Amino acid sequence: MGDLELKNITIGYGNTPVIRDFSLTVENGQMASLLGPSGAGKTTVLRAVAGLLQPRSGAIIIDGRPANGLPPEKRNAVMVFQKTLLFPFMNVEQNIGFGLQMQGRSTGEIRRRVEKILELTELTGLNRRKIHELSGGQQQRVSLARALVLKPAILLLDEPLSSLDATLRQHMRELIQDIQAQTRITTLFVTHDQAEALMMSQRVCLLLNGRIRQVGSPRELFYRPADPDVARFFGGCNFFEGRLKNGVYYSQYATVAAPGLSANGDRLTATIRPEDIRICADGNRGITGRVQKTSFEGTTTRIWVQCQDRVFVVLAPVTDLQAGQSVRLHLPPDKIRIFAAEN
Amino acid sequence: MTTNVTSTGNNARTRPNPGLPVIGRLVAPALLVVTVLFGGGLLLGFLQGLGYLPAAGMKVFTLQHFANVLADPDFFRSLGLTLYISVTSTAAAALISIFMALVLTSLAQRHRVVHFIFQIPLTVPHLVIAVAVVFMFAPTGLFSRAALKLGLINSSASFPLLTNDSWGIGIVCTYVWKEVPFITLMILSVLRRTGVELLEVGKTLKAGRRQRFFYITLPTIFPSLGAACLIVFAYTFGAFEVPFLLGQTYPMTLPVWAYKNYSDVDLLARPEGIAIGLIIAAVVTTAVVASQLLTKAARRRGLVL
Ligand SMILES: Nc1ncnc2c1ncn2[C@@H]1O[C@H](COP(=O)(O)OP(=O)(O)O)[C@@H](O)[C@H]1O
Ligand SMILES: [Mg+2]
Repeated sequence: MGDLELKNITIGYGNTPVIRDFSLTVENGQMASLLGPSGAGKTTVLRAVAGLLQPRSGAIIIDGRPANGLPPEKRNAVMVFQKTLLFPFMNVEQNIGFGLQMQGRSTGEIRRRVEKILELTELTGLNRRKIHELSGGQQQRVSLARALVLKPAILLLDEPLSSLDATLRQHMRELIQDIQAQTRITTLFVTHDQAEALMMSQRVCLLLNGRIRQVGSPRELFYRPADPDVARFFGGCNFFEGRLKNGVYYSQYATVAAPGLSANGDRLTATIRPEDIRICADGNRGITGRVQKTSFEGTTTRIWVQCQDRVFVVLAPVTDLQAGQSVRLHLPPDKIRIFAAEN
Repeated sequence: MTTNVTSTGNNARTRPNPGLPVIGRLVAPALLVVTVLFGGGLLLGFLQGLGYLPAAGMKVFTLQHFANVLADPDFFRSLGLTLYISVTSTAAAALISIFMALVLTSLAQRHRVVHFIFQIPLTVPHLVIAVAVVFMFAPTGLFSRAALKLGLINSSASFPLLTNDSWGIGIVCTYVWKEVPFITLMILSVLRRTGVELLEVGKTLKAGRRQRFFYITLPTIFPSLGAACLIVFAYTFGAFEVPFLLGQTYPMTLPVWAYKNYSDVDLLARPEGIAIGLIIAAVVTTAVVASQLLTKAARRRGLVL
């Protein structure tokens, strides 16, 4: 148990910095998600925390103690890698007990603690299994168990579920959440999957191009994205421009009262999520448009609607619209997110 | 329409696999050559070893020649010397190779020059190295003369005996120099592929430097190291040219002794030479088979090789 604090760290390979001025705090006993597209630098951050990589500048503080100079084996943080990387020459039990064995724990203690972790990770009875006789999900759980058994202050999970199929992944998400809630190990969970990040933790940190773009609760990131890039990452696709005048935002698609914003006369970008746009039956509300194409996605249908000079993407449960058909769209003002002007 | 699509699909899937007879017919010529040359040679050798040498008037099958060889006290001296040379060179080469592989993995991939230089011994034949060793290390060799010129020794007789010596130093050194790159490259590929990542896992699981070496590196490289060592052992046990050039006149290694017997003017010594040769072949085959079994077992356990 302990908290993790990263202060203004910059990390690079060779001459190009990959992570710039990165700061993040994960409080004791919490699980935070580090979210970002592939290549954003998520693994790089975890490797720096684990001690496998030295940051150029900035401080890494684990459990209140600066960890910058410490080698990985002296840090109270354990990393679970994206590939399971189990020791192929050891069985399940030996893999899980490895860390304890390295600490010189007694055989009895190792057996007891391994047994407990096996139960926690739903691996009971597989003690003597060889690694190549395990399924992908089981291998991933052994990899997790191998880290958990050490009771580290910080647990670092690098996309542990990315190689599993959808059903198994959902089950493993719940398992990891349960284990985290039980053990209260401070956890930094890395993923490229926005839905996974939102469901896994109370705090999500979005990393784009080596910089933190927004940190907050899942709802904040989803409904109040800090900038158009963040909105885009969460599936936002409808952007339009307007002007602010006396606390009211005017655009050709909607008029929104924006009491919080004060930049008079500025052109500001706004967005609305595709599922928030209403297709209206009555003929006088909203804006007129023409259906370009539709795409059936199961529970919803994705509809592209041309309105004046912009195409809006709408997610709606209706399926009977045809290309070429005229529709009216209503953009509810309370669902429109206006971005403050960028400096 | 639908049937048409399915039937083409089926056709594509059930296109006849070339059966064993077809493959057999294809490789038969090559197989025949190999069988006749190697198998025939072995069979002829075996017959001669059993004393069937009509040219010399010997037409009775007997195990007497094997018995003669085994009863000869020189056989065990030769066997001892041969084992000493192959075990020592294999062990020394293995230790040096482990060290070299560790150094090379820690070097970045871009140090291609180092790798290139390192691979040179692989391309040089044993015979050439043996001759070079004679030129350089013999009492009349390059180093001896240089030492004499520099006044380090006062006669070429006081130069340490490094070739044709009783410890087989010249032979062992030649083998070590020649086999280190082979073993190192075998280990290196495993270390590069999984070793580096597993070591990182070891670090985050709090294993110290020594622990990582003994609990991760050694078990990771063990199958390929073992397989490579068995092959090197087999080679050094059966090879003739290096001990022939660099060894003493007595005792001889088994291959040299076998050759001496076989090429003796006395045709009666020939079956004994062959018998020794067959004993060597048995040891070499055992080592090579063991190497294959080790590799196979490691593959089954998912250890890449
Ligand atoms: N060992 C390395 N050497 C050079 N560049 C690297 C190395 N590892 C990663 N990178 C680069 O750093 C960036 C971030 O990589 P990474 O942290 O692995 O991203 P993520 O885990 O978010 O997918 C990528 O652009 C990648 O190409
Ligand atoms: Mg990654």
